[in-house]
Amino acid sequence: MISKQQFLIRARLDQATLEAWIAEEWLIPSRAADDLAFTDADIARASLIRDLKETMEVNDPGIGVILSLLDQMHGLRRTLTELLAAVPERPGRPVSGRRDPTG
Amino acid sequence: MSDPYEILGVERAASLEDIRKSYRRLAKKLHPDLNPGNRKAEEQFKEVSSAYDLLSDPDKRARFDRGEIDATGAERPRQRFYKDFASEAAGHPYADASGFEDLAEEDDFLSELLRRHRQARANAPGPDVHYRLPIEFLDAVNGATIRLNVPDGGTLEVKIPAGTDDGQVLRLRGKGAPGAGQGKPGDALVEIAVKPHRFFIRQGDDIHLELPITLTEAVLGGRINVPTPGGAVAMTLPKNSNTGTVLRLRGKGVRRHAGGHGDQLVKLKVMLPSAPDSELESFVSGWAGGKAYDPRRDMQP
Repeated sequence: MISKQQFLIRARLDQATLEAWIAEEWLIPSRAADDLAFTDADIARASLIRDLKETMEVNDPGIGVILSLLDQMHGLRRTLTELLAAVPERPGRPVSGRRDPTG
Repeated sequence: MSDPYEILGVERAASLEDIRKSYRRLAKKLHPDLNPGNRKAEEQFKEVSSAYDLLSDPDKRARFDRGEIDATGAERPRQRFYKDFASEAAGHPYADASGFEDLAEEDDFLSELLRRHRQARANAPGPDVHYRLPIEFLDAVNGATIRLNVPDGGTLEVKIPAGTDDGQVLRLRGKGAPGAGQGKPGDALVEIAVKPHRFFIRQGDDIHLELPITLTEAVLGGRINVPTPGGAVAMTLPKNSNTGTVLRLRGKGVRRHAGGHGDQLVKLKVMLPSAPDSELESFVSGWAGGKAYDPRRDMQP
């Protein structure tokens, strides 16, 4: 876990920006004891938001839309990964353990 | 690495504003977080970023144009992209499964996956916290309430039910780590380590005890007091009770989960007086039965 102070330094943010981003729910830190706690994923997400704002000049409503769509896409990607792992036999792949007796 | 002007698709005489515009256009197209799963885009984005780093710095750009540094001189270390975290297993607050909610309604398999994703969302319950609590043997058998000091400075009241076994894990609902947002806190899982007792030994629901008795009690029998985990109880010793004889005290063992109690098994051990006794010596030397009985008769090799 990363403390708020550490997070502000590593994500190169100021306190007011962080508060605004949390209010927008762009960042969702967990609450540890009486302070906020961050992860490496939060830092990476913060730098994505900076890229969107500064490099691509996306405005604030646009960032909210992009993040929400990205989160949904990652949900889909993970589900697809789990589905692929759960499907035991796929055409074109060698099947282990079971063999067609006639073949 | 190839030519940064080429990578950004600008003329060598391009203005800083042109370079910035071109970088912005390419970043929108190639940013790895906007193209998760596309490794080629990530590679290209890194090249584009390096090229932009070089050409957006007038000093570096001039040195590059004069041939003093090559294009790799400006590679900027980039932290991991967000997509690298988002693609990991569930468990971060941004996971969102609403993109296939409608599909899951018609499919049990998908809805099970969806349920797991839901747990990882913003208001996810807190994780469970594990503790190990050593307790006294009698507290485990009889039950007790023990205060556990937790690392964050607080205390946890742990109710040990009677009959708790070594290694058993007690779950204290809601006493684990706090949840994210409105999420419920996790549970505290307390693993009980029962310390050994000086003379009681537990086997399942039974208590085993080796009980020393005097020669007089062994020969003549009588009522003696026997310690049990619940306190001393009177037990009738039959005449001629030998070392190794096991007597059963019904219901004096450990409380069973299903109800009732185990037994206490008392194994007798005849003890001579610790100091030599002349009266005993003179009696035994004149005792004919003591010479006729051979307890080792079956032990001929």
